[in-house]
Amino acid sequence: MEHIYKHKKKIIYLGILPAFLLYLGFVIIPIFISARYSLVEWNGFSPPSFVGLENYAEMFGNNIFWRSLKNNMVVVLASVLGQVPIGFLLALLVNQKIKGRHFFRTIIFMPVVISAVIISLVWSMVYNYNFGLLNNILSFVGLESWVQNWLSNPDIAMFSVAAVIIWQFVGLYFIIFLAALQTVPDEILEAAKIDGAQGWKRTLYITIPLVKDSILAAIVLCISGSLKTFALIYVMTNGGPSHATEVMAIHMYDNTFNGMKFGYGSAVSIFIVVFGIVLVTIVRKLFAKFEN
Amino acid sequence: MINKKNSLIIFIVLIVGILFTSSVMAQETVELEMWHAWTGQDAFASEVLLPKIEEFQKQNPNIKLKIQVIPNDSYRTKLRTQAAGGQIPDIMQTYPGSEVQPLVEAGLLMDLEGIIDYWTDDLIPRDSLSAYTFNDKVYAIPAKVNYTHFAFYNKDMLKEVGYTVWPETYKEFKVMADKLKAKNIVPISLGNKAKWVLQSIYISTIGDRLTGIDYLEDVLAGERKFTDPAFIKALDVIKELADEGYFNKDANSLNDMEMRQAFYQKRAAIFFGGAWDIGGVIETAKEENMNVGIATFPQIEGEVAPKALSGVTGSAFSIRSGLSEAQKEAAIKFLKFFYSEETYVDLLRTGSFVPAKVDLPADISPQFQEVINLVNEHQIGPVYDAVLPINLIQTINNGLQSLTTGEMTSEELAQQMQDNL
Amino acid sequence: MNNKIKKIDKFKKIATYAILIFFALINIYPIFWMVMNSFKTENQISINSFSLPESFMLSNYTKAWNAVSLGRSFMNSFIVAGISVLITVAIGSLAAYFISRFEFPGKKLIYSFFIFGLLVPIHGTLVPIFILMRNIGLVNTRVSLILPYVAFNLPLTIFILSSFMKSLPKAVEEAAIVDGAGYLRIFWSIILPMSRPALATVGILNFVYNWNEFSFALVLINDNKLMTLPLSLSLFSGQFSTDYGMQMAGLSMALVPIIAIYLLMEDQLVKGMSAGAVKG
Repeated sequence: MEHIYKHKKKIIYLGILPAFLLYLGFVIIPIFISARYSLVEWNGFSPPSFVGLENYAEMFGNNIFWRSLKNNMVVVLASVLGQVPIGFLLALLVNQKIKGRHFFRTIIFMPVVISAVIISLVWSMVYNYNFGLLNNILSFVGLESWVQNWLSNPDIAMFSVAAVIIWQFVGLYFIIFLAALQTVPDEILEAAKIDGAQGWKRTLYITIPLVKDSILAAIVLCISGSLKTFALIYVMTNGGPSHATEVMAIHMYDNTFNGMKFGYGSAVSIFIVVFGIVLVTIVRKLFAKFEN
Repeated sequence: MINKKNSLIIFIVLIVGILFTSSVMAQETVELEMWHAWTGQDAFASEVLLPKIEEFQKQNPNIKLKIQVIPNDSYRTKLRTQAAGGQIPDIMQTYPGSEVQPLVEAGLLMDLEGIIDYWTDDLIPRDSLSAYTFNDKVYAIPAKVNYTHFAFYNKDMLKEVGYTVWPETYKEFKVMADKLKAKNIVPISLGNKAKWVLQSIYISTIGDRLTGIDYLEDVLAGERKFTDPAFIKALDVIKELADEGYFNKDANSLNDMEMRQAFYQKRAAIFFGGAWDIGGVIETAKEENMNVGIATFPQIEGEVAPKALSGVTGSAFSIRSGLSEAQKEAAIKFLKFFYSEETYVDLLRTGSFVPAKVDLPADISPQFQEVINLVNEHQIGPVYDAVLPINLIQTINNGLQSLTTGEMTSEELAQQMQDNL
Repeated sequence: MNNKIKKIDKFKKIATYAILIFFALINIYPIFWMVMNSFKTENQISINSFSLPESFMLSNYTKAWNAVSLGRSFMNSFIVAGISVLITVAIGSLAAYFISRFEFPGKKLIYSFFIFGLLVPIHGTLVPIFILMRNIGLVNTRVSLILPYVAFNLPLTIFILSSFMKSLPKAVEEAAIVDGAGYLRIFWSIILPMSRPALATVGILNFVYNWNEFSFALVLINDNKLMTLPLSLSLFSGQFSTDYGMQMAGLSMALVPIIAIYLLMEDQLVKGMSAGAVKG
């Protein structure tokens, strides 16, 4: 078998080439240019001046940057621990032959496509301190003490925002898992049923190992997506109050385009990429270990 | 019958014809790329500025304006990205002070000294151009003055707690606010999610009054400091408003629309806004049968500049440097047409203040006349974000949020600003 | 015994529906709210955005459509988003096929290289890409959007497709190779049909991303005639006031094509291997 493959190496490389070139030209080269900017001080208008690693030094000495990193980790954890299991559960549920599965499949995906503007407006109202749905429900069931200033209290605002992010992107993992579940032949599930492997056991021992590649893919996507998260928080809280919900991408955007510090902003971009590589590598190593 | 030879001749004739006409056209038509942020929701833009641009194009068929409208929120991102790539439009809207300064410093804008006499001082006093003046050269001409501080209050709600007139002093104001609170009415509706509200609307006027209107310039020149007790006192006023619970509790997560909504829904008795809110408030009050009064912040003890009112010129156009002679001529022609006496009078009719000396038209609304009278009692002071450098704007915007959430004291914020100077 | 199983089954059924209906409700509400407000006047929205509209007045829709030439933007978005999706899925699936089904030198490196792209924040590349486009003279063309859209979607596309293709049984194509079928034929007539669920997934995700993309469109397009939908929709907010009624109407209209595309693809999403060219 192997020798056939070897003969046609050329075809393999040729097949990958178009994707490789486009990706190189419009993702890799720009981020390398950005890496170069991270070594200069530049307001975007006047000529840049070389400052070496000063932007990185400034970044690591900046409390707000560290806070944005911490906030970002809240999003990463909430997403990995929230979106992946919920997405998987929902995919399992609608993969059954139940009534209305068409409808559910569509509606579960919807938040992914709704504009961040609308999501932010609606959830701000749910979280509203005075007449928001959430506080109303809490009061109604007698949990007044749980009533919170969900978005204005800097101690909890990040968690309130993270909850919305979970909700918004569950649909994305949902369809990835739904697709993956189609590779599990019905016969296997049926056979397990006859053998008496019931419910969650069947899921745990048979289904999950069969779709483990997709689960790893989902986790990696989750981490990378969370590290870049921007739009929803930007419109929902603008990173406030007082940096309480500022994540790295907002820190970068704010410094680049509002603060006109292109060098500093680029340094943050580069950090996001490097930090992401580290996280993803750790997860993949853990996963490989787990498999053995 | 068309053979090869014939078609070749036809082809050549065509090409020559096209080249000829286009070269003639090129001599006559000047193309100018123009960017502005007037999307048409605000009356001053939809009723005056945008029609003016259209009129200019009709009157000057040989000047072709290629217009790009970019919403305010994204305007900076687009301008700064393209400028970083070495490209800016021929005529562009520019924002006052530290926003336009880097463009000037990079030599991207044409100074208007050669033509400024057309406006100064008969129509526009030179003083009104200060936000666009660098090294004694003017780089843009503004259409409006945006006063950034007005108090809008519900007269009926104030009456409920025994106030038929707006309190004279801050002390009295606090007594009134306490009474409102006792009646379960939120005294002041605030929406500070976008962070500029407490800065532009509140601290600018309060600060100007307590520190004097030259304070910011003095600080930037190193003659005074942000740790000056007068400035700390101004910050303390905002902190007090927050600590005493005069704002709605979720002030930092509402936008300015939600802020006005709470006022219209009678969930709050007062909101502080800018001149841009006047038209909407008057209109909504009429439709909803609300009794709305307009005032400014009551007098605070120890004011250096009583009756200071923060305001800044805006809606200005700049011209790119390095235009061809023909383009330059066309661009100047546009500016002269656009910033005309007629424009300023029309702007007054839509309830906007203008930086020009023009007579009030007879047909302006009585409500706006009242506001004009109010403004005339005041002296204009600087708006913080039109004077401070960008990093300090960010510091104070975020700092004021921290002040209201109790994460920072006034002294700490003042110190931080001084450090970042 | 039998009874007990029946009871468990019934409980499971109720629980399933309870969970699904719960999600359905919170997912529908934002859309419902948006559509409701699109029928109201500016004043009605500012006074109460929770109430039902007094009538189904369509003036926000017609106004929004005309005010910012939404028809033209719809067309532009269709062209840009559609072409980008086709190119991404075509070249991405080919790359994913070779990466997931073959061993060759440098495979791991190439794969990691593509995954790296998942981590690149797009705002960090705005200035470099603008300069790049300017140097090759593409600023203010549709191509200037298609290129970064394709490039930025490739990592996700290759990632999802290759992890899916990896899980397909090896036996199928081995048999085909013995039959003497070429790589591309195996790709076209065996792997692609079997990967339909994953293709549908990436097709949907790419389309959603391209349809909503704002930043590249903002900085790379200077001509009103080429504006995509998100740019036009942003024109409903001014410096001091936003026309919420028109904005909601515009956003509601913008949602329709994307839901249509989803419904179209959704069928493929669950047409698993059993419905594919090869069974078992």
